[in-house]
Parts: sequence; C-alpha cells; structure tokens
Amino acid sequence: MYTLFIDTHSDKIIVILYKDYQIKIKKEVETDHNHSITTIPVLMNVLKEENIEVIDLKEIIVVNGPGSFTGIRLGVTIAKTLAYLLKVPIKTMSSLLLKATSFSHEEVRIVEREKNGVFLGIFNKENHLIGEYSYVNNSEYKKEDNDIENITIDYEKVILFTKKLESINPHIVNPLYVKKIEVQK
Amino acid sequence: MKDIYILAIESSCDETSIAIVKNGCKIESFTVLTQMDTHAEFGGVVPEIASRMHTENITMVLEETLNKSSITLEEIDAIAVTYAPGLLGSLLVGIEFAKTLSLIYKKPLIAVHHTIGHIYANALEKKLQFPLLALVVSGGHTDLIFMEDDYKFKILGSTLDDAIGECYDKVARVLGLKYPGGPNVEKMALKGKPIYKMPKPVNDSSYNFSFSGLKSHIINFVHNEHQRGHEICKEDLACSFQVTAIDEVVRKVELALKNIKVEQFIIAGGVAASGYLREEMKRVADKYQIPLSIPEMKYCTDNAAMIGAAAYPLFLQNKFVDFTLNAKSQATIEENE
Repeated sequence: MYTLFIDTHSDKIIVILYKDYQIKIKKEVETDHNHSITTIPVLMNVLKEENIEVIDLKEIIVVNGPGSFTGIRLGVTIAKTLAYLLKVPIKTMSSLLLKATSFSHEEVRIVEREKNGVFLGIFNKENHLIGEYSYVNNSEYKKEDNDIENITIDYEKVILFTKKLESINPHIVNPLYVKKIEVQK
Repeated sequence: MKDIYILAIESSCDETSIAIVKNGCKIESFTVLTQMDTHAEFGGVVPEIASRMHTENITMVLEETLNKSSITLEEIDAIAVTYAPGLLGSLLVGIEFAKTLSLIYKKPLIAVHHTIGHIYANALEKKLQFPLLALVVSGGHTDLIFMEDDYKFKILGSTLDDAIGECYDKVARVLGLKYPGGPNVEKMALKGKPIYKMPKPVNDSSYNFSFSGLKSHIINFVHNEHQRGHEICKEDLACSFQVTAIDEVVRKVELALKNIKVEQFIIAGGVAASGYLREEMKRVADKYQIPLSIPEMKYCTDNAAMIGAAAYPLFLQNKFVDFTLNAKSQATIEENE
C-alpha cells in the first residue's frame, strides 16, 4: 500500500513515497520561494521512479503548517485535491508535530523558526500537544532548556505516528496558519 | 468533429469559479463562489484572505460543478486555468489545483490570461467576428484592442494611469460608499444630474485614457467643500463623475470605430456590467452600424466560463503548458499570441 507524504511548509519541499509504511523514495528539493513550479514535478518524478500511477496512492499525509503561508496553501491544495478525487484517506500533521514525533520520552517545546519570529508548541511524551500553538516575534522569544529547534526528523517514526491520526474529510482539510495577519489584529 | 469539453478554473482575485465549457461556447456547468461579503468588511480585497478562501473552497466548488454536469472528469479533454494577471497567492491555488487534476486524469493543461478570458466571454454568446475592436474595462484595465483573428492582439491604447474600475472604487470611498464601489457609484449616479464641472481626462487624438486627473479632482473637491462647510450633493457628484469618465471612453471608442474597419465591437471586463456604459456603447455602435457584443451580466465579472471559452482556441492550436507553470501578477496579452 502506497502512502504519499507532502511537506511544503518551508523552503525545502519534501515528498516521500512510503510502501507499507516503509520509506521507498524520499525527495528533498530547495525551492527558493518557488513552491509552485517545483512541487508537482517532484511528485511526478517520485511516481515515475517507483513506476506507479497516481491512482496507486492509497493514503495522503500533508504537513499543513504553520510555516510559509503560500507554501502550506499549495501543499494542502494539492493534497486535499488528490484525496478528494482519488477517494483515499487524508491526514494532516503540523510542522511542529513532525519534529515532536522524534521525541517520545520527554516533554519538549518545539520551535519552528521563520523570518520574523518563531512558532511554539509544547508536546508531552506521547507527542500530544499541550495547550495551543503560539507565535512570538524574535525579540519576544526566550529560549528554554527543553526547546527543540534543529533536529533530523526520523520519517519512519513520522509514518508510524500517523497511524494514530484520524483521517479527515478532504473538503475541510485546511492550512494551519497560527500567525495572525495585519487585518486580523 | 468531436465535441471538446474544457474544465476551466478561475481564482485570480476574490471569486473561486469552475466551469465546464463545450467547444468554447456552450456552458455545460458553471459555479462561482464569491468572497465579496468577507472582503466588504475590510473595504476591499485582502489578498491573504482571498488566497485562504480559495484553498478552503476549491474542492467544494468542483463538486458542485460536477454535480450539475452530465460530463465526468474522465470525459474532459483539457484543464484550463487563469495564470495571470491577478493576486499571486490566489492564482497559485487555482494553478496547483489545475495541475493536480491534470496529473490525475492525464489531461493537457492550458494557461489562460485573465483579460483574454474577459474578451472571450463574448464568444459564449456568439462566435467572435474578426476583425474586431475590444474595449476592456475593469478594476485593472482600460484597454482598446484590435483583434485580427483568434489570439491576434494589437493594443491600440491603454490607460496611462488608473484603470476606470479603480477610479470608480476610489470615488466610492470618497463618497462614503461601501465595497464594491463601482456598482454603488452607479446606483447613486442614477439619482443625480451631471451638474458639477469636471476636468476632461485626455483631450488628444490617441487611443489612450487617463483617469487620475478626474480622480484627484473629485478627492480635492470633496475635501475643499468639506473644509468650507459646503454641502455637496453626492448623487450629482457621482453622476458628474460617471458621465465624464464614460464620455471619455465613448470618445476614444468612436475615434477607433471611425478610423478602423471592424466586423464587431465587443466589451469586456467588470465595468461592462455598468448599465450606463452599456447604453452609451450601444449608442456609438449603432451610429457606426457595427454589431455590438456585451456579455451577460454574470459573465462580465470574474468567472471560469470565460476562461473555458478563451482556452478553446489554444486547445485547437495544441498550445499546452507543463507542470512548471507559475502564476504571474502582471502579463501582457500580446505575449499570448
């Protein structure tokens, strides 16, 4: 069974094809703010390398943010359209949960950095979010001992974790922006 | 010849629209979801919110379009999408959505220029008759275009500053009218008389337009009268503005119809929904005995049916694009020839 994982929340686009929850192909591409011209071609190459068709995908996992607004919108638009038309389950995970899945023994505060500030989320040892995600400007951010910012993500752990997640109706799969925009303030 | 069905997507501003168009002229199914009420709260389109709403709604708009159609996605011949001009974030949602459909169903992808879409909204009524003169009037455009044939454009003249629709919106704000400004200015103008003296926009023999002088005049006039404690009659001011702005367009159209031989005169773009503009253009077209085409009201504002109509000639010419298609906030129509 093939699962497609799409992460476009940062300048590095990650597309992974899992077969029976094992990584078959993993592509990482630097985009330089150009998610649109890159994402679908990368996805196509992944399918071509494995010699499968898009209809062979049986599950979609998408990182729905927080991160680059345009980036997550594109990843989510592609993912929800695939899930809706292929009639396969879709699951979302946040960019912070993605990092948290590599820590299953301790409570951690995950830090996701962007240009002007950081997104924060505290996860317990079962990787459950405690409270809500928040966004603070760089000047307000005070580093704490259990802060985790730069880690190498274990994508085998990620896919095992997604088994615990509920699938969502594709129509209501949406980006997680967290940060408020000017008119909302 | 086999019938050609194009599924078209438009998301360049604040309308999420999908249509299935047969042979570039017959609408099989058509849905428009407007975000106007949301943006009205902010007094204008907020680009980030527009993009967000496109992502939220696009699969539902597709579902509704398919439910109203007897044609399935498997039977579609091509996927068309607006790639420019417009709000980048909004365009990108439509483009990624279109690419995903193209990928799943292995259908060719066609990139359509939004303004050309507005022009081809006229092909939804009746086949375009070339050569033709097109007047494009919208929030972003005021252009007079000569078309020798499908996708053969020659821009005769354009606005040198603000587009006429933009000017309507600005006047609406000065008069304290709500977004969307254009239709509200027109409603108010209906109740007034053109008694205020206005500066003539561009008094030359080119096909160019200019509206910033008129706009500034109104802003200054309202401000000065307010400073002096004078009452202004908003209805008369709206009417004076509208008559001056449209008269200028009429004058340039008349000049073009006098100098250039065409088989048809067509009007396109959001401001083509203006009743006053429609009446005036009809008067000029009748005077020169040139057949006039104006799209039905619902195809004047942004919609995907016009994108499907504009994609058809490109389909016949095999002008397809690949998955590296990107959105552009600006693009000339001439680069599409």
